[in-house]
Amino acid sequence: MIDFLQLTVAGLSQGSVYALLAVGLIATYTVRHVVNIAQGDYATLAGLGSISLVTAGLPLPVAILIALISVTLASVLIERLVIARVKNLTTLVSIILTLGVSTLLQAIMLLIWGAEAKRLPAFPGSDLTLGGVSIRSQELWMLGALVVVGGGVLLFYEKTRWGKALRASAEQPVAARIVGISPAVASVIAFAIAGFVGATAGVVSSPIYLSIWSGGLLLGLKGFVAAVLGGLVSFRAAIVGALLLGIIESYVAGYVASGWKDAVAFFILIIVLIIRPAGLVLRPNAVRV
Amino acid sequence: MSYLNKAAMRSKTGFWPNNRGTILGVAAFAVVIAIIPFTASSSMMNIAVFSMIFALPAIGLSLLMGLAGQVSLGQAAFFAIGAYTHAILLQKFEMPGPVAAVGGVAAAMLAALLIGLPMLRLRGHYLALATLGLGFIVMIAVREWEFTGRTTGIYGYGRPEVFGIPIDNNGLFFWFVAPFVLIGLVLALNLTRSRAGRALSAVNDSELAAESLGVNTYALRVKVFTLSAGFAGLGGVFYAYQVQIVSPQVAEFHVSVELLLMVVLGGLGSVWGAVAGAFIVELLSEGLRDLIPAIIPGATGEVQLIGYGLVLILVIILLPGGLYQVVKSAWAAITRRRADASAKRSPVIAAADDDGSGEVPTRAFGGLPSETTAGDGLDEVADAAASDARIPTVSTPVAAGEPILEVSGLTKRYGGVVAVDDVTLTVPAGQIMGLIGPNGAGKTTCFNMITGAIAPTSGTVRFLGEEIQGRKPHVGAEAGLTRTFQNLQVFSSTDVVGNVYMGRYRKGRAGILRGMFGLQGREQYAHEEIARDILDSMRLGDVAGLAAGDLPFGRQRMMEVCRALAAEPALLLLDEPMAGLSGSERELLAQLLRSLRDAGLTIVLVEHDVAQVMALADSVAVLDDGVLIAHGDPESVRNDPAVIVAYLGTDAEEAEAELKELEDQS
Repeated sequence: MIDFLQLTVAGLSQGSVYALLAVGLIATYTVRHVVNIAQGDYATLAGLGSISLVTAGLPLPVAILIALISVTLASVLIERLVIARVKNLTTLVSIILTLGVSTLLQAIMLLIWGAEAKRLPAFPGSDLTLGGVSIRSQELWMLGALVVVGGGVLLFYEKTRWGKALRASAEQPVAARIVGISPAVASVIAFAIAGFVGATAGVVSSPIYLSIWSGGLLLGLKGFVAAVLGGLVSFRAAIVGALLLGIIESYVAGYVASGWKDAVAFFILIIVLIIRPAGLVLRPNAVRV
Repeated sequence: MSYLNKAAMRSKTGFWPNNRGTILGVAAFAVVIAIIPFTASSSMMNIAVFSMIFALPAIGLSLLMGLAGQVSLGQAAFFAIGAYTHAILLQKFEMPGPVAAVGGVAAAMLAALLIGLPMLRLRGHYLALATLGLGFIVMIAVREWEFTGRTTGIYGYGRPEVFGIPIDNNGLFFWFVAPFVLIGLVLALNLTRSRAGRALSAVNDSELAAESLGVNTYALRVKVFTLSAGFAGLGGVFYAYQVQIVSPQVAEFHVSVELLLMVVLGGLGSVWGAVAGAFIVELLSEGLRDLIPAIIPGATGEVQLIGYGLVLILVIILLPGGLYQVVKSAWAAITRRRADASAKRSPVIAAADDDGSGEVPTRAFGGLPSETTAGDGLDEVADAAASDARIPTVSTPVAAGEPILEVSGLTKRYGGVVAVDDVTLTVPAGQIMGLIGPNGAGKTTCFNMITGAIAPTSGTVRFLGEEIQGRKPHVGAEAGLTRTFQNLQVFSSTDVVGNVYMGRYRKGRAGILRGMFGLQGREQYAHEEIARDILDSMRLGDVAGLAAGDLPFGRQRMMEVCRALAAEPALLLLDEPMAGLSGSERELLAQLLRSLRDAGLTIVLVEHDVAQVMALADSVAVLDDGVLIAHGDPESVRNDPAVIVAYLGTDAEEAEAELKELEDQS
């Protein structure tokens, strides 16, 4: 039982990383209908960047702040230099295009930081034990990041006028313009959000799960599986799906074999696509993919 | 001028692009292949061998992207399945090489079939996602499974032997794999031009129109996807032979990226491009592996990825058509210059060519038939249509007057809105029925439900006694129900005759296999001939060779009618066929419809032009707000007060006057 709970805690913390990445993916998909394969690479980029800054002697919070801002800017830059350059960007082309971006980012990280995994120092705080289950403070930081940043994005998109206009800009550019958002601005904002969310996932997870140049792809794809569980439109369903995915992975690693852990997400992906392509969204009518 | 040249240049070879060019290209490629092992250095030879091996999955992927309009992000998975199966059959079951190779290809195709069957039912990018998932599953499975040798992989099987000669060096191996690449190339090229290949290109232009001509999109896509995996599997077989150890890295994601890059760089959907892409990417990869560590000391690992990423991004942004597009436009520029030069030298011959085609030498492009021709030639035109023996044959499966289409209780709801409400209607064979009604009355929705473009909320549609509601459009089309579209659905990637040729789809038989082996030329030429005849009879012969999208609106509409007629339907549904036509075109079309009706064809037309419908139709049905308010012969419908009120406004008397006026005009 303790094992089970322990695995659940580990799964939840890992799931919160997937959830943040899923939030980033949906943020750009709803606005631009772009599936951003490079989403996970934002996380590794922020992780590796903050590690370098800490190694250079900066205090942890400063290093993290700089990393978050830089990756957010990098995402905007990618939007301006790459995404915005393609006319008639279909979702399919966007997948191929961002696959190129992801490959490029990974290669750059490989050249700068080398092939080994690196670790960011743990955030301040003390680990606690609840009924025999030990919870690391870093895991609380990860869940907290999901609540604050992921929840913030969700509220922004669903409750604020700007957020709603942003969502509308994909379907009704004219209506969005009336509120004062041009499609180009909407796209930039969406990519900034995606960059920030992805970077957050990267820095909070680095102390436990490490950062390695090639790690972003798999992370991003798992976030993507979670986003598909949310029908690529629902933040809530995607977050629930991501946490479930983390937990199931954790059980598979604990009870079956750790090597198979990474395959779980893709089995789920294929099964979901076959059975219910609209994902966990309750009213699949709302989904237009 | 250039358009005239194009028209003058059109010939049979124009319809089947560059047959001679293909043969020359393949022959040249074969010669290069034969020579390479004598001239290349040993490191170049190594690159050449891997280029040939990867050309196979690249060809497969290019077929999938070009024909099925889908992308696989896990092409490496099928490559790996082929490689592993081959190696395991050789090493653990000690099967002979050819048997193991067939096993490898079959395993890859089977895996694709299992993924494709559920995924290709869905529209959109689901196949891309599913193949992405499959890629990781395969990589993890071979790494974790004892049977596949975990991280070590499978090794210790022999090299291939051909006629007792062991294939034990790169030169021999190159010759060993080359015939398969050549044959694969030819088969793939044939396929793109076959009946199935043309149908799939049409699907990429307009799935609805292609389905409405009898194309079973789903079945064809599943077949192409399976075939594409077969190419990948074959590549895997050769890979296993060449590297002599199959380990999980063959299934890695960056192999899929590499294959994708080959196809994108070569040009989406271009088979030649895929082969060229394979060579370029292999060269690039090798070059970067040497170059990057030289520039950045200490760089190790997959450094070539930086090039992959950059090239992928740059090609999509700057060169969406890939190398194929570059070569094509360069070639077009050369031939245009040459044609212009020859036209300058001998204008007489060029003019003679135009006359020789038998058409009026009009400004072939850019306008309707010129006013003078249309003005004094109206009767002539009508006569031509009426007496034209080349009007497509009409098959009448039921006797005139018997019901051919029975619609019962047909209803469509969108949320709370009822677009079509309980429409019951029988269309007797051999008649023209007009379906009229104000804007938004549900006419097109009715059409869409009858043809299968959308599924009704309730109700039945029986065509020739068979229920077809809710089935896909190709079901009705195969049985002989064809339509045109209010919003034109033109196959813009082909020319006008190519569009009408697609109408012949349901009359053809050749499948993917026959297409690949090129055993359908005769059938295709016969259909092309018929397509040209139909175009001639509708006075579109002069533009047969032009890109369909370049025609003016009215002529595109006529072309759609030709396309529908080419299918030799038993029931023809025309959605506003007169809209956008000139007066003479309208007359020509009306005349044609009458003579088709007399030949036994049943026609239902939705039309805004009330006078036209009243003059043409044997019976008229009136829809208002989704409800069928009248149905009968034109005379009784015209005098039906409900119709007058519904159709022309609330004031019945004023409406009647307006109706009179309309008819007087006709």
